[in-house]
Amino acid sequence: MLRQTRAAFPAGLYGMLLIAVFGLTLPALVLPVERVLVGTAALVPRFLGFWSGKPAAAAEPAVLDRLAALRADLDAAVRYHDVFGAESLMPAGWRPEVRVAVATGRRGGGGQPSVVQLDRTYAEVADCSEFVTKGNALLGFLMRPGIGLAADDEPDDFARVLLLNDRTAPRVAAAMTFPEGGTLRMIVGPAARVDAAALRAELWDDPYRASRLRADGDAVHTVKLPGVVGEPPGGLLIGRTRIWGYRAAEGKESLAIAVLVAPPIDPHALSHVVLWRTDANANAVDTAEHVVEHAATVWDLPGVRGRHLLACDAAVPDGAAVVQDGLFLGSARGLSYGLALVSSFPMSRQRWSLLLMPDEAGERPRELVGRVLEGREGFALIECEADRFVSRAAGMPNGYLFTGSNGAHCPAGLLLGRVTAVPGRTDRLEVSLPVHRGPRAAAVMMRPERRSGR
Amino acid sequence: MRRWLLWFLIAPQTFLLTGLVRDLGVPLDATVLHCLFLAFFADRRALAGLLLGAALGRALVDEAGLCVHILVIGVPVAVLLPLRRWFFGQRWIWQATTAALIACIVPRLAGLCGRLFDQHSVSATFDGYVVVTSAVFLPPLLWCLRVVPPFAAFEEDEPA
Repeated sequence: MLRQTRAAFPAGLYGMLLIAVFGLTLPALVLPVERVLVGTAALVPRFLGFWSGKPAAAAEPAVLDRLAALRADLDAAVRYHDVFGAESLMPAGWRPEVRVAVATGRRGGGGQPSVVQLDRTYAEVADCSEFVTKGNALLGFLMRPGIGLAADDEPDDFARVLLLNDRTAPRVAAAMTFPEGGTLRMIVGPAARVDAAALRAELWDDPYRASRLRADGDAVHTVKLPGVVGEPPGGLLIGRTRIWGYRAAEGKESLAIAVLVAPPIDPHALSHVVLWRTDANANAVDTAEHVVEHAATVWDLPGVRGRHLLACDAAVPDGAAVVQDGLFLGSARGLSYGLALVSSFPMSRQRWSLLLMPDEAGERPRELVGRVLEGREGFALIECEADRFVSRAAGMPNGYLFTGSNGAHCPAGLLLGRVTAVPGRTDRLEVSLPVHRGPRAAAVMMRPERRSGR
Repeated sequence: MRRWLLWFLIAPQTFLLTGLVRDLGVPLDATVLHCLFLAFFADRRALAGLLLGAALGRALVDEAGLCVHILVIGVPVAVLLPLRRWFFGQRWIWQATTAALIACIVPRLAGLCGRLFDQHSVSATFDGYVVVTSAVFLPPLLWCLRVVPPFAAFEEDEPA
C-alpha cells in the first residue's frame, strides 16, 4: 500500500513546476540550460531547412536607397525636435548632443522605470552637464561614476541617467502658471510606485490654492532659484498636473488629495535623450562600439505563421534585432548552435518602444510605447501610448513606423512599415508590413559586450 | 533510453505538426493534447521528463520562455492528475469535456503568466473555435497516438 502511494505521488511533476517558478524568479540561472534544450529541439526544423531551397537574395538597390533615405529623414527630425525648445533655456555656450537610450531599469514613481542607460560611457560624457533633456522638458540627471546609485560604476561603463521619478533623484523647484493669472510654486519629487503618475508636487507656496485645483493638464515648469548652485535652468517642462482625489457628488465639491505630475514621455518609449556639453570647444569622444550586423538565414517554421528559425555564424543574444532587406522582422530569442527563434512583429505580444515619423514635413516624430493587439501576415493593429509633446487632440498622424530603443541589441530607427491612424482613436494604429516567404538572407544586429552599470 | 530519445525527438515537433493541420482549417492545440495525455494516460513517474519535452515544443512556436510553458502545461496536469482514476479508459464524454476545459484555461494561464513575468505570448488569445475542435478531435486523435511511439511507451497500465 505504501509503495503504491509513493508511486502515485508525482514528485517529478511538482519538482518541475517548482524549478519553473525558480527559473522565472532568477532567469539568469536557467537561461543557459534553456538555450541548449530549446536549441536541441530546434535542430529538427533546422535540418529540414536544408531541403527548403536556397535563401533569397537581398532587395533591389533602389529599395535599399529609399529605406536609407527614410532612416536619414527620421534621424534628422529626431535630432531637430529633441533639441528644439531647450536651447534657449540652457546657459550660453552649452552644446546639445542627442544620445541613444539603450535600456531602462529600476522602478520609480508611478511604477515606471527610473533609470535609463545610454549608448555612451561615463568617460565619453564626462564633460556634459548633469541635466538631461528632451525637447523643452527636463528628464533627469546624468549620473557620475562612484557617486550615489552609480557608486560601483567605472568610467568605462555605459552612462546612466537618473530620471526625476527615482526615489534618490534630487527634488526640483517648480511653478505652474494659470491662464487667468498668477503662479503657484512647489517642489516636485518622485511619486510612490503605486501612484497614478510618476511625480508628485508638494511644499506649495499657497497650499490653500493648491487644494482648490480641480482640472488636470496644467503645465509645470522648473524655476531657477537665485543663488542656488546646481539647480536646473528655469522654464524647462517637468510635466502636466493630474489631480488625484475623490470625485464630487452632485452639488458638492470634489476633494483633491494629491497633485501628481505626469512627465511628457513614458520612460519605456524613450529612444533618444539630449545631453549638454558644457565646454563648447570640446569634441565628442566617440569610442563606443556600434551595433554590428551578422549575416544570417531565416526560415519560416512549418505550421507557425510569423515564427521563424534563424541560423547565424555567431551566438545570438536575446532581444537581437533581425533585419531583412533593410526592414525590421522581429527580435530574436537566442539558442545554442548559432540558432535563434524569431517572432515577427505582428505575431509578437511584447511591449515595443516605437518611433512614428509623420508624413507631414516638419512635424514632430512621436515616441510610442505599444503592443500588438491583433496581428496577421502583413498587418498589425497596435495599441499605443504616444509622448505628450504634441497635444492628443491633434490625433495620430499617418506615416512610417520605426523601432525605438528595445534593448542593447535592438537599436532605434529600423523601419517596420507604413502606419495609418485609426479614425477616432488616438491609441490605435494600423501597420502594413511587407510579407516574405521561404528561406531568405537576413542580418542580426549585435552590440559587442561591455559591462553596464548596475 | 530509446523511448526518451524518441520522446524528445518527436514530442516537440507535434506543435509544428498541429500548426500544419491548423493551416488546413482545423485549429488543433497541441498544448491541450499533451495536457490530456499527461494528466490521464502518462506514466506518472515519467511526468517531469514528458512535461519538459512538451514544453520544449511549445517554446518552438511561442515567444514566452521555457519556464512559462512548463507552468502553462504543468499546472492543468497537476490539477487534473488526482481525477485520473475516474477518467481512466476511453470515457469519451469526459475526455471531450476536459479537453474543452483545458482549451479554455490554457490561454488564460498563458495570459496570467505573461502579465506576472512580463513574458507575453500570442497563445494568450482565447479562441472559441479551438475549444470546439479540441473537444471534438483531440480525444480520438489521442486514442490513435497512444498506440504509437513515443506516446505508447509512456502509457500507464492502470491508475494507482
